[in-house]
Amino acid sequence: MTALQRIKNIITALCMIACSIILLVFPENGYYFVLLLLSLSLTIYGIKTLVYYFTMARKMVGGQSILYRGVVILDLGIFSLTVADNPTVFAIVYLLLIHLFTGVVDILRALEAKSIAAPSWRFKFISGVVNIILALIAFISGAVMKSMETLVYLYCLGLLSSAGAKLISAFRRTAIVYIQ
Amino acid sequence: MQKDFHYYATYCAAILSGYTHEEAMVICYSDQFVDLCSATLLSKLKAPKSAATTQLQLELMDSRTDIISLQNITRIWSSFHFLPGDLYAKREKCSKSYLNKYRLICKPNSDLLLSTVEHAKDKSLQAVGLAMHVLADTWAHSYFAGTPSLVINNTDPYFFELIPDGDDYTERRITFMHKTSIKDDPDSSTYVSSLYQSSENSIMNLGHGRAGHLPDYSFIRYRYLPAWGDYDDILKDNPSDYIHAFAQMIEAMKYLRGANASFQKSCYDFEAISPYRDEIDAIIKKRQLDACADWKAFGEKLSGHTIEDFDLNKYQSEYMEAPSKLKDETFIGRFILAAMVQKSMVTNAIFESGNILAGFSVNYWKKGFRGIKDYKKLLELFSI
Repeated sequence: MTALQRIKNIITALCMIACSIILLVFPENGYYFVLLLLSLSLTIYGIKTLVYYFTMARKMVGGQSILYRGVVILDLGIFSLTVADNPTVFAIVYLLLIHLFTGVVDILRALEAKSIAAPSWRFKFISGVVNIILALIAFISGAVMKSMETLVYLYCLGLLSSAGAKLISAFRRTAIVYIQ
Repeated sequence: MQKDFHYYATYCAAILSGYTHEEAMVICYSDQFVDLCSATLLSKLKAPKSAATTQLQLELMDSRTDIISLQNITRIWSSFHFLPGDLYAKREKCSKSYLNKYRLICKPNSDLLLSTVEHAKDKSLQAVGLAMHVLADTWAHSYFAGTPSLVINNTDPYFFELIPDGDDYTERRITFMHKTSIKDDPDSSTYVSSLYQSSENSIMNLGHGRAGHLPDYSFIRYRYLPAWGDYDDILKDNPSDYIHAFAQMIEAMKYLRGANASFQKSCYDFEAISPYRDEIDAIIKKRQLDACADWKAFGEKLSGHTIEDFDLNKYQSEYMEAPSKLKDETFIGRFILAAMVQKSMVTNAIFESGNILAGFSVNYWKKGFRGIKDYKKLLELFSI
């Protein structure tokens, strides 16, 4: 990892922590802030896809599909910015999918590790179960109890764990020694 | 390639290059072990995870898509399964990020292959087996890169199998399915491949996933459009590639055991296989998904010994029960050292070419020891 990449990771992690603190302090308006962040992310993703096309994918056989994709995502991102105060279901589905997918992958990893008797399976299994419980909480609190604050707290939890992972990777030793 | 070639065919090549049955068993076991030595297995053995030579499907799925994980993936797959063909390849009108990926495309007879064989010289038999794995895979995995990349590893639906028909070939369109529940079916040219993912760094775009297991089958010939090929099609002739891999392994192992003075690019010991050429060709060209039984029978005929089945657990207790100071003397300990030497060498070569996709490399003689602590083992290996 270059020094620049390390700095970028640290700054991104600090921004994520700041965002989650703001959300935790003002959870009643936090829901709109979360949606705004998600819409912004989609817009930035659209721009990144276009940059990807012009720097790399245009050399690829069938690379035009990336160009169309970039245009559509950018369009969607801009559109979602204009309707950010509407769909609750947007946040529920997002959180549900993220936690459900992570949970299922963790449990499959645990089963794989258990099949070769690796001790790491317990940690993975617990992590998988926790993620599936979080997905259930997202569903129940959003769709049944209509509690937007719980969804905001869940989103904060995700932000904080991603920020932690970024900080850890920014300080990790990554170089490999070469001796001949 | 799979167990039929990495285990049984390697055993045959080792016997033909002059190794004894016992030595050939160590070599072919180590060759096959490259496909199984994952971080999960190493954590079970309480061995350094940096020595991983492969990643399990779910380890890959679980990987983050940050730069460190991508470098870890690239280090493993480029060092052991997709040795880059030309780290200084030129390509006009493309960005540096594209060029870095393009330069990792695997091809046989590269400078890195020479270094790989050279690094196994005067080392353990485990190092020989590991080097043979890398060598053989340069043939099977040609035209794909050991890093996740849509722009390099993707394939177009334009994909045809060439089926022998008398003196000629009949072309049949290949159908790729993305279900793990179905099996490859050569009779209908239906094969399983990874799902299309438009994300450049998705693990679905690692290596030959988009072409399924086609590169791993010795019998198949196919024509396709690689993502990087400017719409020119490529004919992949596996029977020819596999016989070259086999003859080159013999050439390399004769050098490693001291029977030949040097090992050079594009040199194959076809003389050693000439008495058995028809038999070997028949195994390679037979339309079957698993050639283990045929290679095993051929190997046993060559050596007059029984080749025992591969057993992943065979050497694990030896390693786990050995005292810390003696672990490097065990079978798995020697394999781990060989793996670290190979990974360090390939990472350094990629880094020196101005490409950081495999991560950073620190030259010990210029900067001293820095970086991942697991590699301190190399200091002892080189008696520093």
